[in-house]
Amino acid sequence: MASEDEVSLLVVVVDVNPIWWGQQAQREPEFTLSKCLDSVMVMGNSHLVMNRTNKLAIIASHCQESHFLYPSKHWKAGDAAGDDAVSSSRDGKYEVLAVTNDQISEEVRNLMARTEVKGHQTDTLLAGSLAKALCSGQEMKSRILVIKAAEDCALQYMNFMNVIFAAQKNSIVIDACVLATDSGLLQQACDITGGLYLKIPQKSALAQYLLWVFLPDANQRSQLVLPPPVHVDYRAACFCHRNLIEIGYVCSVCLSIFCNFSPICTTCETAFKIPLPQMVKPKKKKLKPAT
Amino acid sequence: MAASSEEVLLVVKKVRQKKQDGTLYLMAERIAWGPEGKDRFTVSHLYADIRCQKISPDGKAKIQLQLVLHTGESTTFHFANENSALRDRDAAKDLLQQLLPKFKKKANKELEEKNRMLQEDPVLFQLYKDLVVSQVISAEEFWANRLSMNSVNHSTSNNKQEVGISAAFLADIRPQTDGCNGLRYNLTSDIIESIFRTYPAVKQKYAENVPHNLTEKEFWTRFFQSHYFHRDRISTGLQDLFSECAKQDEKGLKSMVGQGVKNPLVDLQSLEDKALDEGYGTAATPSTSNSNRTVKENSNSAIIKRFNHHSAMVLAAGLRKQDPLNDQASETSSTDGNSRDSDLFQPPIKKVKLQEAIEYEDLQQEDGLKTVSLNLKKSDRYSHGPVPIQTQHYTTSQDIINSVILVQHEMANYKPCLTQVMSSTMASSAIVALSPGGVLMQAGTQQAINQMVPSEVQSELKHLYTAAGELLRHFWSCFPVNTPFLEEKVVKMRSNLERFQLTKLHPFQEKVQRQYFSTNLTGHLEEMLQTAYNKFHAWQTRRMMRKT
Repeated sequence: MASEDEVSLLVVVVDVNPIWWGQQAQREPEFTLSKCLDSVMVMGNSHLVMNRTNKLAIIASHCQESHFLYPSKHWKAGDAAGDDAVSSSRDGKYEVLAVTNDQISEEVRNLMARTEVKGHQTDTLLAGSLAKALCSGQEMKSRILVIKAAEDCALQYMNFMNVIFAAQKNSIVIDACVLATDSGLLQQACDITGGLYLKIPQKSALAQYLLWVFLPDANQRSQLVLPPPVHVDYRAACFCHRNLIEIGYVCSVCLSIFCNFSPICTTCETAFKIPLPQMVKPKKKKLKPAT
Repeated sequence: MAASSEEVLLVVKKVRQKKQDGTLYLMAERIAWGPEGKDRFTVSHLYADIRCQKISPDGKAKIQLQLVLHTGESTTFHFANENSALRDRDAAKDLLQQLLPKFKKKANKELEEKNRMLQEDPVLFQLYKDLVVSQVISAEEFWANRLSMNSVNHSTSNNKQEVGISAAFLADIRPQTDGCNGLRYNLTSDIIESIFRTYPAVKQKYAENVPHNLTEKEFWTRFFQSHYFHRDRISTGLQDLFSECAKQDEKGLKSMVGQGVKNPLVDLQSLEDKALDEGYGTAATPSTSNSNRTVKENSNSAIIKRFNHHSAMVLAAGLRKQDPLNDQASETSSTDGNSRDSDLFQPPIKKVKLQEAIEYEDLQQEDGLKTVSLNLKKSDRYSHGPVPIQTQHYTTSQDIINSVILVQHEMANYKPCLTQVMSSTMASSAIVALSPGGVLMQAGTQQAINQMVPSEVQSELKHLYTAAGELLRHFWSCFPVNTPFLEEKVVKMRSNLERFQLTKLHPFQEKVQRQYFSTNLTGHLEEMLQTAYNKFHAWQTRRMMRKT
């Protein structure tokens, strides 16, 4: 049993890419961003209730910014005295939870309201959100849960890997709950840090999956029967075609990977000489004169 | 019958073998026995095949000689001549004792080597058992690669280190009293060798006098009697055999002292005893002229001188290489007093030592190695992760705008409704998926195979892999097939592989399937073998086509 004083922080990084969620609302109207945030809130409340010393942080990962939904900087105690306060305090729930939920919803509304549409910024800033999550969990035992909606962005690869290794160094576990397409980067993150990766088959049951799989922390997971780890594809991609290859050629000067041999490395322009295998000359048979 | 060129060393009549009378012949290279009246030998063994001979104990009535071969078989000969059985048997035994050792060494070394290798490496031993004992491949093929590798290592390790000389070898002789005023000195060949190596003068004397003038025993008696050997070596001027040696030693000692120490930074003078303390001035050092010394001082200094000389000789003998011819040609000086002068070499050594003492390598100027800088033209390639470029869904800007507006509308009035997050049917289907056996839990069962299979089966599988690996290595090393030897080998290896599959792989697979479960443990092995068969088939068809 964890000691009473140990603070355990759960940071939930929610992918709120408005473009993806807008398209999702058109595809499946029964599961929209509101439902997703409701499920996240349920899980956040459950985490806070599990132990008095548990802490929660929620980060929204948007295309333009990564924003802390909770704890919020702008919220002041007095503001709750409005119509919101009536509805949330009426049902007599634990005040911490009420305050938390209010903050989250307020922040989300503000975040979505200030969304500006820019054509070239369509990718979720996941690496940045993870970096913020890592910073917030420095003084205490923490773990990160990523709820991913949109596809991977290849341009964030380096930052992503740096974040993963930093998390591994600080023993911070990264879990991933993927709603739509599999993400190789998150698979790697979970594999390296020792977290759980799950692609859920039914988005509508997100809350159930979150409570069943991701609510227990790393110590308790060894006692539970949970989905087994996925096979991670660690193959590298060749620099010329971006194909995933198992065997390839590596330039010894700049370490760039190619799928075919070429005498000059296109990255560092080094010339290579490879000795060709000796050609075995076929023995010439004496032709018998035709009779 | 015996080949006409064979030399017959001994013939013994009336020797019975397997209850038959006959004659025993000992030849130059083999021993043979033929029954009485017959012309040919029924039993013939080469000396090289014989591991050892045994004789029946002396008291027994039956006088027998048994030959044990390397293969383990044994042949017994019963000497049945009434008068001379014992003599005959002993004659045969003695002759065999002389002959066997000559032939023994050739066969043994290889066998010993093989045995040693098998004992040292349990994996190799297991492989040997799996392949050779079960007749999958022959022993020669098995040893073909291995012996050649190891015999090279062995020959280098044969250059053993020379054994040094113990400094106390003279003291170790330790005379024992004879009982009646005499002394017994026990001289072993080691001690004699030490004496010769340390004191080449004695060796010279030995070479001169033994065996012409003195026997060995006399030489050593004189040696021990002479004052050369004794502690207080006062040169009495007697004409002793070894007085010359004493004079040579003195000369050597003087030259050694004259040589001095090579290292110019070592100051031997500072080791002298000073009567007064430092800073008090030096007392006058006692003069070294003989007249001022007492008798005791004289004998003390003589012992110390001899002790130093002895130690120096022992060191010199250790440093001197085996053949003395090199000394003539070598430029370096040796430390014994009888070598050439090395004064010419002092200055360079001194210079080197001084350099070492005053300079530090680290503090020197960097030489500035010419380095080549890395010149990357397209460094953005590195930042692209292993995400293959997939066909993205093409979204028009209109789509984007629409999606964003939709979401903004939705979230403008967002109020969490936590009591209706999901329906119970959804929840229960999710639980089903997460329970053991559910959709998401399938991968779990596959991973437990190494816990489901008992360890004996696992180790047997490992042995199979090692054996198969060995056979496949032999097979694949035949390609490309250039020589007729390789052609034969390839054909042989293929039949070996088939035999292996039949005798080892299939029974294992059947056993596993029968007893445990239907998982395929040998799938990969079969795959490897199949690849080998395919390659062989391809090669064979190509060969046929070339011939036609």
